[in-house]
Amino acid sequence: MKTITFNQKKISSIALEFDELIPDEVFNWKKSDFDKYMVPIGNSRFPLSDYFDIEVEGEAESPAQVKMVLNGDLGRVKYIGCKMTDGQIVTNSSVDLHCGAEMSGGSILINGDAESYAGREMTGGELEIMGNVKEFCGASYIGDWRGMTGGIITIHGNAGKQLGECLSGGEIHVKGDCDILAGIHMNKGLIRIDGDVTRSPGGQMLNGDIVINGSVSRFLESFNQDEIVLDPTIAGKSFLGKYVKFTGDIVRNGKGTIWLSAEKNRHLL
Amino acid sequence: MEYIIKNGTVYDPTNNVAGEKKDIMFKDGKIVDNVSSDAKVIDANDKIVMAAGIDPHSHIAGPKLVVGRLYRPEDSRRGIKSKTDVTRAETGFSIPNCPATGYRYSRMGYGTVIEAAMPPLEAKHTHEEIIATPNIDIGALSLFGNNWFVLEYAKDNNIDDLATFISKWLKLTRGYGVKIVNPGGSEAWGWGMNVHGIDDPVPYFDVSSRDIIHSLAEANEKLGLPHSIHLHPNDLGHPGNYETTVSSMDIVKDVSKNSPVRDQTVHMTHIQYHSYAGTNWRDFESGAEDVAKFINNNDYVTCDVGQITLDETTTMTADAPMEFDLHQLNGLKWANKDIELETAAGIVPFIYSGRNSVHSVQWAIGLEMFLMVENPWQIMLTTDSPNAGPFIRYPRVISWLMSNKRRVEMIENGEVHKAVGRKSIIATLDREYDFNEIATISRAAPARAYGFADKGHLGVGARADIAVYDINPNNIDPSNDYEAIEHAFGNAALTVKDGQILVKDGEVVSTKESQTIWTNVQGLEEQENVLMKKIMPVFDKYYTVKFENYPVFDNYVPNPIQVNVQAGK
Repeated sequence: MKTITFNQKKISSIALEFDELIPDEVFNWKKSDFDKYMVPIGNSRFPLSDYFDIEVEGEAESPAQVKMVLNGDLGRVKYIGCKMTDGQIVTNSSVDLHCGAEMSGGSILINGDAESYAGREMTGGELEIMGNVKEFCGASYIGDWRGMTGGIITIHGNAGKQLGECLSGGEIHVKGDCDILAGIHMNKGLIRIDGDVTRSPGGQMLNGDIVINGSVSRFLESFNQDEIVLDPTIAGKSFLGKYVKFTGDIVRNGKGTIWLSAEKNRHLL
Repeated sequence: MEYIIKNGTVYDPTNNVAGEKKDIMFKDGKIVDNVSSDAKVIDANDKIVMAAGIDPHSHIAGPKLVVGRLYRPEDSRRGIKSKTDVTRAETGFSIPNCPATGYRYSRMGYGTVIEAAMPPLEAKHTHEEIIATPNIDIGALSLFGNNWFVLEYAKDNNIDDLATFISKWLKLTRGYGVKIVNPGGSEAWGWGMNVHGIDDPVPYFDVSSRDIIHSLAEANEKLGLPHSIHLHPNDLGHPGNYETTVSSMDIVKDVSKNSPVRDQTVHMTHIQYHSYAGTNWRDFESGAEDVAKFINNNDYVTCDVGQITLDETTTMTADAPMEFDLHQLNGLKWANKDIELETAAGIVPFIYSGRNSVHSVQWAIGLEMFLMVENPWQIMLTTDSPNAGPFIRYPRVISWLMSNKRRVEMIENGEVHKAVGRKSIIATLDREYDFNEIATISRAAPARAYGFADKGHLGVGARADIAVYDINPNNIDPSNDYEAIEHAFGNAALTVKDGQILVKDGEVVSTKESQTIWTNVQGLEEQENVLMKKIMPVFDKYYTVKFENYPVFDNYVPNPIQVNVQAGK
């Protein structure tokens, strides 16, 4: 096992781009390789060593044997774990945009908040965010109709707008509240929201499941109310309590399902 | 600067050179038969030498490309290549940015490309994109098949005025030839309709597709244009459309050819999409046999294939009603555009998959056409880029054509759906192209079909557009070494354009500005003036642009290759 620790020395006013510093690329790097590496910042590259002290312990023969630990204020470090296929990344602070975007394997643990675009178009692996996440988590990039297609995103705090836009597989679990348009254009997969949802979850969804344990302030009328189910099993997972099942979005002939806590959403029934 | 490409194995079908060891010499941008002792020697021993490739039908410049790029940013995220000291940054897979288009053709050893559909009203922008595309000569075919004036002339069988109109509009648009897309159908789309077969009346014009095709073919020959009519017939992509295709080819059988530089009176484009049998997508099957049989029996027809490459791509065509059908079929996003009085367009992303039975049979139909049309001078290599797949897949298509083993492997390994065994006869066709036939379908035949006397061959006086590939024909079995074939044709060892070395070992080492090929018909100036006096009231009444803003000005064509044609001669 190889542990690579990044200890921040200096904060950049322009974001550092870390998409080349993933286990796939650095599993066989020595400290000297990091010291001479030039990290992209804006339209130029600068020595990584100006911004981080790097410690390397142990050896790795593959990305799976790498653990990267990032310490310091990472609010201006973006693309952490972007496109990684294996290994482990742990950050001990909040992170900037695109964390875990397009990752296909391995795990990322963010001990803080994540900016927008976290886990966008990820196809596998696990992304766990201990704080809040901003917009477009697990969504597609602009133009594409395929968001996250596999893997698991767990958010212990709240999620911003358009969570899981065009979700096409995998699971997103929000333990806090969620802003508007969760699961918009969703094609497949599962979104679980333990807290409240502001407005219009599942707009234009074609398929997949959204489970909301909190209340929804405004719900789209283009969903048909179906039965009330006690302790349902949804996408292979068991849920406790009474849920009202809605199907839609009928404006797109959708066959998606939204499960609302019956107790918290009496105002919609 | 003088050069000798020494000891290469040359394939030059136009000059009946098939795999001979020869030196190819060039000087001042032209092939010559002698150079001085100062000439720089390029060793091509154990390599293949051909004329640079000519793509007879591709969509690389114009408004639909721009719309495609704008509404498919996800495509622009693929194919990204950073700028170098020589090249600009490249983006895009199926709809690359303009510089990438030029570089990618160069890397494959291509030198000339025909943009297959230029709406006259948007011709200026098409030429702006041509200017922005380096390294290749580009000609654009102007769209005529749904133009209101054309429909009126066709209805009245007024061939004289139609010929004069074409002559004038090629000048106004700096176009190379006459393109017809879903004749009458794209106009009907303005009313939410389409036409099917060749005898459906076009709404409000009382004219049929048959009339439009025949009239435009007659007018084309009356002018003696270097290219024949370029026909995308009705019913593209509909099961059972092979009958429409055969009927469409039959329409022009009585039209006499009036050009010494080509053999055909009609060029059928992306014939794969027009060779479908069956009545719906359930009983859909190949109709290639009947279409190929007709072409084999009628030498006035040439075609290009539009081979499916089994990629995620972007479909874009002036056949707007077909694009709507496609959008209904796959449910993906759709862009629709009307070009007033002239044509329409639609764009839909498409994912061709070997796991899908229909897509697999489409793949087989394209290959059947390649393998069943006997004369390689009548069939040309295209993917109707980007519709059936991006042009960068030409090397892969070449490897399929040269290796029956590879085709059988794809069927047996499940890389294509097993339906190809039931719905096509591809598995029974064991023909394999040789290098000379590859040179014919990708160089010599397109050059002849377009009347390019100085392109597509390596004879003295031709442009020094040359491709060298790192293949030793004496030491390779394309049937087994298909991967090496694909790699070599995708990474030219050397690409020379007008005497300038652009590519070495698959990398772009220099760039040059593109040149615009267009046809200037001479001898009808007086008739054009008379006709314009009749046209202008209609133009002023119905177009939303002023005529003064309509023509392509000279500064839009800074590097012209002007092909002068004396009308009727």
